[in-house]
Formats: sequence, structure tokens, C-alpha cells
Amino acid sequence: MPRATSDAKLLIQSLGKAYAATPTNLKIIDLYVVFAVATALIQVVYMGIVGSFPFNSFLSGVLSCIGTAVLAVCLRIQVNKDNKEFKDLPPERAFADFVLCNLVLHLVIMNFLG
Amino acid sequence: ADEGGPRGRRVLVLVDDLAVRSSHSAFFASLQGRGFDLDFRLADDPKLSLHRYGQYLYDGLVLFAPSTPRFGGSVDQNSILEFIDAGHDMILAADSSASDLIRGIATECGVDFDEDPEAMVIDHINYAATDAEGDHTLIAGDDLIQSDVILGSKKIEAPVLFRGIGHAVNPSNSLVLKVLSASPSAYSANPKSKLASPPSLTGSAISLVSVMQARNNARVLISGSLDLFSNRFLKSGVQKAGSKIRHEKAGNEQFVTETSKWVFHERGHLKAVNVKHNKVGETNEPGMYRINDDLEYSVEIYEWSGTSWKPYVADDVQVQFYMMSPYVLKTLSTDKKGVFSTSFKVPDVYGVFQFKVEYQRLGYTGLSLSKQIPVRPYRHNEYERFITSAYPYYAASFSTMGAFFIFSFVYLYHK
Repeated sequence: MPRATSDAKLLIQSLGKAYAATPTNLKIIDLYVVFAVATALIQVVYMGIVGSFPFNSFLSGVLSCIGTAVLAVCLRIQVNKDNKEFKDLPPERAFADFVLCNLVLHLVIMNFLG
Repeated sequence: ADEGGPRGRRVLVLVDDLAVRSSHSAFFASLQGRGFDLDFRLADDPKLSLHRYGQYLYDGLVLFAPSTPRFGGSVDQNSILEFIDAGHDMILAADSSASDLIRGIATECGVDFDEDPEAMVIDHINYAATDAEGDHTLIAGDDLIQSDVILGSKKIEAPVLFRGIGHAVNPSNSLVLKVLSASPSAYSANPKSKLASPPSLTGSAISLVSVMQARNNARVLISGSLDLFSNRFLKSGVQKAGSKIRHEKAGNEQFVTETSKWVFHERGHLKAVNVKHNKVGETNEPGMYRINDDLEYSVEIYEWSGTSWKPYVADDVQVQFYMMSPYVLKTLSTDKKGVFSTSFKVPDVYGVFQFKVEYQRLGYTGLSLSKQIPVRPYRHNEYERFITSAYPYYAASFSTMGAFFIFSFVYLYHK
């Protein structure tokens, strides 16, 4: 299947080229999201091996990652210059919202962890 | 063990002829020799009374008045039954002249005498050799119940002589036991007439002597033969028909002595004292346990030996940790000095539990102990603070927090 492989290769190459044009601040957010999702996946696998005994700890661990990822994606939507929907929203305001939401999230996680 | 026995020693002996007092003197002498205070009265004595001012005058009753149609004074069938219901003991002996009154009392105790007033127990195989020429109503019985507590630990070697009427044990009454059963070849019929129809009572379904221990631990012995207790049978030798062995003395003396000891609670009466429980490693009794606590339970059980309370030894006493159903059922181990103990873990269930000992053994008085104890769940601060298997979750939470901090920094200050 040389044709399909080369198609896939072409696709990835064009994707990489397009992504390289992304502004650095969005790339930082993407890295942050990838980290959070990977941590969540590791915890789910760990729960599958060890069992769900401290279930509240598991939930808070996974939800802290998922919550972080969701908030980061929201931030990314709001600070993206190409996104016309939020063109009136200053990026400083978006970041402040992001920080506030994260504080609330981690407060809840800390309470639920033990 | 303290000194007081489980029963008093005042016994009323009712006879329908004072001659019984001398013809059965050996049996009465053995009772008196063991400390019983016998009061001989004629069954139709008009001043007869079992209680006065609401107090019973006697602790036991020996009813050797088979032919009495009705008792004198204030005594009747109901007052005899009330006497037993109040936890007193009775020995009842009937014979072929048994009146309806005596039959009625026996029926109420779960024993049905043959309804034919002429019937006697006949056995053409297991009769006593001295009765070879007669009608084979003098039976040499040796089918005794296997119970050391009822018949004593010494085996009764010689057959027990019996001449009288047979009875059947009411099958719906689980409290009655056949102590002396007839042999499979026995039957109950009128020995003087020809058998017209098959006898209603045959074989080992016939009980010659039965005992009943009521749920209140009152004990009753019912014998179909008054002669069983007589001096003549106690002293005579016995040889079973067809057997070469001649015993110098019939088994009657040992039989009546041992069974009367049982009936009057000189044997087989248990008491439980000092029920204790505590957490392992502590000595005082808590008012409440927590789930998954380790606890120790102990109880002291003694048996009355007739003169003192002796440690009871058994390996089948069990304690239940009970809430609607037993959550824990443990066999108690004994130190042979009367203390039964065990230890176990409180189940992972909270609620109001009971320590229960339900000990019912053939021939022994029943023990029924229960002690209530609540079990609570963990308090909020009794849970583990950090659980080892949750460390990855803690690490993940803190790492996302740290990552948030680093991300904010990098995001704000990148060029």
C-alpha cells in the first residue's frame, strides 16, 4: 500500500507545516493540554490495574487534569486572533478568567482529594 | 462456684396407699440419703395443697398414686401442670390401674398411655426368666437411651425389670425422650384375653420410661410401671430369657437412682455467669465497639453436681455475634476450669448487635444468654490520612497545579 502510506505522510507533513505557523502562545497552551490529558490517561490506566479503592482520590486526580485541559482549551479559543467571535475580548481579560477558574478548580480538587 | 443448688429439696410424695411407703422404701431412702425432705401424703388427703399464700410448699413431686381418680384438697390436674409450669420437677409412675387423671397429666406432658385399660406390655422374647411360666409381662428391658447425663456415667449392666403399661411418645413433642424403650418384639395388649385385633402399640415405638424437660427446665419422668421403683424389683436378681448371664441385682436400683438424680437437677443443670467481653489488649468492658475491632468474649459455665458447682467441660459451646442473623459464629474454647472464651473481629457492619449463646444439649438444661452491644462505624478522623495506593492521584493533582503555575509564567513572559 505505497499509495496510502505516502498519502498519510503527505497529510502529516502539511499538518506540521500549517501548525508551524501557529503563534507561540497557542503552542504553549497546546503543550499544556497535551500534558494534562496524558496525566489523566496514566491515572485511568493505573486505576484499571490497582482498582478503584480510593475512588474519591481517583476522581479528583483525573478531574483536575480534565478540568485543567478544558480551561486551557477555553483560554486558547479566547486568545486565538483568528477567532472572530472573541475579537472584542482583550487577551489579558481572558487570562485573568483562566487563572480565577483554575483557582476554584484546584480548591475543589484539594477538598475532594483526601 | 457458689454453694446454692438450682433446686430446693422439699418433695411431696403422693401415694394412694401408705403401703407404698414401705414397699418402695429403698427408693425413698436413696432420695432421703441425698438430702431430700420427703413429705408422704395420701393422694386423696383433703388437706392436700401444693402452695400456700402464693408460695409453693414443695420443689418436687413424686406421684406414686396411679389409681387415684381425683386428688384431695385443692390439687387437681391443672394445679399439677401449673406446678410444672412454675419450673418444678415431677416423677410420675403409673401401672395397669392408671386412672384418667394420671393419664391426663401424662398426656399433657407429651406421653400417651395405651388407651386400653386392661393392656400391659407383653414381650415373649425379652421377658425376665423368672416369669417363664407366666404371661411374659415382667420385662427385662435393656434398650436405654445413650446419655451419660440422664443415666450417669457408669453403664447400667443389668437389665431393668418392668411390669406395667406402655406409652407412646407424642411425635410432635420434641421435648420428650424415651429413656427405656421396649424391644422390637414387645406389644401392648390385655394378657388375659386372646388377641382379637393387632395391638395399637408395638415394638420399639413403645416407651416404658420417658423423660421430658420443659422449656423452663422443669423435668418430668414418666414410667408405666410403679413396680419399677419397688424394693422387690430393686433387690431381685435378673436373668433375661434365653441369656446365660444371671445378674445378682437388677439394673433398677441404679436406673431409678440415676434418673431421679437427673429429674431433681442433681445432674445436668448448667449455669452461666460472668459474661465478659473486651477489646483485645484491654480489660474493661466498652459500651460500644467500632467496626473491625478485635474483641475477646468469655463466659463461665458450671454444672451442678448435687453438692457443688463443677466446671463444665465441652467443646461445642458457640457464641453468635447476632443482628437479625448471626454475622459471626465461633466455637468457644475452654480452659477446663469453667471459662469458655474466644476472640474474633467485629464484622464490617455497624448496628446494634448481640452476643448470643444458645446452648441446648440432650439432658442438659438449656442456656440462653444474650447481651446487647452497639457497633459504630469509623469516626471521620479515624480514616487513614494518606492511602498508599492513592499516591499517584495525589501526585497528578499536585503536578497539574505545578504545571498551571509554570504555564502561567511561561505564557506571560515568552517573547
